[in-house]
Amino acid sequence: MAEVKVREIQTFNYERPAIQKGYANQTLHVDLADSKISVKPVSEKMKEIFVGGKGFDLWFLWNAVKGSTRWSDPENALCIASGPLGGTPIYPGSGKSIVTAISPTTGSVMDSNVGGYFGPYLKFSGFDALEIQGKTQVPTVILIDGISQRVRILEGSGLPSDAHEISEVLTNHFGQGRPRNISVVSTGPGAKHTLIGCLNFSWYDAKRSKIRLKQAGRGGLGTVFADKGLKAIVARWDTVTTVTNNPVDEATLKKVARLHSQEIVDQDPKQNQMSLVGTAHLVTIMNDYDLLPTHNFRFGQHPQAPKLGMEVYRALFDKGYDGCWMGCTLACSHGVKDFVPATGPQKGRKVFVDGPEYETIAGCGSNLGIFDPLHVVEMNFYCDTYGLDAISTGTSIAFAMECFEMGLINKAHTGGMDLSFGNRASALELLHQMARGEGFGRVVGQGVRRMKEIFRKEYGADRVIMEDIGMEAKGLEFSEYMSKESLAQQGGYGLALKGPQHDEAWLIFVDMVHNFMPTFEQKAEALHWFPLWRTWFGLCGLCKLPWNDIVPADNKQTKEPAKVMRHVGWYTQYFSAVTGRKVEPADLITMSERVYNFQRVLCLKMGFGRREHDAIPYRAMGPVTVEEYESRKERYDKQLKETYGIDVEGKGTAEKVKILRKLREERYEQLKDAVYERRGWTKAGIPTLDTVKRLGIDFPEVLDVLKAHGVA
Amino acid sequence: MVRIGNREFAWREGVTVADLLKELGDPYPYAVARIGDRLISRPDFDKAAVPNDSEVFLIPLIAGG
Repeated sequence: MAEVKVREIQTFNYERPAIQKGYANQTLHVDLADSKISVKPVSEKMKEIFVGGKGFDLWFLWNAVKGSTRWSDPENALCIASGPLGGTPIYPGSGKSIVTAISPTTGSVMDSNVGGYFGPYLKFSGFDALEIQGKTQVPTVILIDGISQRVRILEGSGLPSDAHEISEVLTNHFGQGRPRNISVVSTGPGAKHTLIGCLNFSWYDAKRSKIRLKQAGRGGLGTVFADKGLKAIVARWDTVTTVTNNPVDEATLKKVARLHSQEIVDQDPKQNQMSLVGTAHLVTIMNDYDLLPTHNFRFGQHPQAPKLGMEVYRALFDKGYDGCWMGCTLACSHGVKDFVPATGPQKGRKVFVDGPEYETIAGCGSNLGIFDPLHVVEMNFYCDTYGLDAISTGTSIAFAMECFEMGLINKAHTGGMDLSFGNRASALELLHQMARGEGFGRVVGQGVRRMKEIFRKEYGADRVIMEDIGMEAKGLEFSEYMSKESLAQQGGYGLALKGPQHDEAWLIFVDMVHNFMPTFEQKAEALHWFPLWRTWFGLCGLCKLPWNDIVPADNKQTKEPAKVMRHVGWYTQYFSAVTGRKVEPADLITMSERVYNFQRVLCLKMGFGRREHDAIPYRAMGPVTVEEYESRKERYDKQLKETYGIDVEGKGTAEKVKILRKLREERYEQLKDAVYERRGWTKAGIPTLDTVKRLGIDFPEVLDVLKAHGVA
Repeated sequence: MVRIGNREFAWREGVTVADLLKELGDPYPYAVARIGDRLISRPDFDKAAVPNDSEVFLIPLIAGG
């Protein structure tokens, strides 16, 4: 274990405010360039408009950056917040943090949510949000100590780079014998050498005496963190109880918390068994419905997929409570104990691996044509400890593998590596290279969008085919669901503000499998309501899994089962009970709508956020190649005949691919029109003046941005 | 005997999830059924034989991700 040597750079003493109705009512700001620490008050207006969490983050980000700001500029602000409900220990899933910054891969606004104890500890220490600007050459640790009421900026030379090690040494150092009082935010060596770095947020697993990690994975926020010169941010706090948030109506809070907690306890064993297997249950189900990405999203099914299924991981997961926040009855953060990596710096040593979850299994397994569950566990471990986003890592390697198999790149480019699908050794070696900043791994670590440019400019690869098969939109790699047969999910990915991540809209099942939204208008309505509802969790410091991963036994008898309205009602009561704001379910949607539209305008300010930025690669819409078409010929022929009235007799596959593509691309554009209209946006995808006025976000600076884009 | 929720059904050789759903008379479009640790998706409901003395859980699966 490395000995921690820290040197004081700056200390800031403060008086910790009492939490009132879920808010600390002040925020913390650190400028690393001049080691300045300051506190700003939170106004009632700020709470009314932005609520908290992502809303506060985005407000700070808006004020920090100019339209010309790049991700690596000092003014880029890395913001972390909980939310007014965050830190409630009795309501399932109430420990989330949300992180925002300008992303290295998209150049625009990124947000990523994460479990672990940091967000609640930050708030209880006296700050609703943390904003970090500036850069330093000194490896820096920020300590937010709510117990001693001091914020310290420390030089942390000699600290380990790996996320697991640094989290452990800092927890032991600052915990003063009480490791549960500490949460560490860190990244890893991969973040420095790639653009797809993630952040690791720790929580202390008292029963196993282990420091556990959760990830804010998407969009290279770990890369921003490392680029600023940060080694870690540490929050220190003490006991958390139901009244730490000082809720207005403790009795109602306890009542709804008990209802939701008990329902999960009752229903989870009958439904998804998430407290036993997390999201691993999805693997074989997705495979059965042709939705599990394999071989860079070429196909949605593979005969070997059951090798990565729930039963396998159930046996691998260490038994015990796995809640990433206190008191969560869903408790889905499972892990593998005493895993022994076969490669890399931890080769031959026993390690604890947090995961894998579905995304990592699909991204680092099936999508690479690898069906070895232990390989996935090893990829998972090294992604975390190197500070790499497992989704972007998997999708980026999958793209490189397909380019290799297509002959667009070869061994001369890969440093002699065989990148055929299914090559486990090469996938792991790429990961180690990303961490070291060496070889072809350094290229893959730039993400899909930049790989396309590098392959074209430096290796002479064909641009057109790479645009079709490179699974990124807005510069962000796709998460691990096949959207070819679900128009609503194509919109869920393509119209998501930050890029194709399913946390904004996951509509595959309700659209494709259940057919709950057969009409175009219903799909547009879903692409209005669901992203807004899901946004609300990020405003409040909540996890969305308890909302719809386990549902009431009689949910199917309700009018709109996909919305799980009983839970929406409980969340409404929860919000009122903590904050004292009397709200109805529709009010929660309006809260989100304000922040959602504000984020869209912020994207616009950064040079994005228009119709053309909502494009997706054709592989997300349909079969790119003859091989893909032929593999599902019956389906595609039937659609051409029955849906579009096309006579397929006598037509070759290449011709049918072309016809289907034209039709599907037109349909996607029609969907954009319908969704923009429903959202109150122009045909160019920009919020109208009426929309921002109706929502009360018609600040002069917002109007200026709209005016610059022709909306006045 | 096979149990689904609070209903019990007489077991017979070769009975499938689809057969039981028909007997149950529940029109809801369940995506997945689980028997013990075994997950069965709707496309396979008519092929999946249900063992005697088992409990079938019908999973709505509207979530994910």
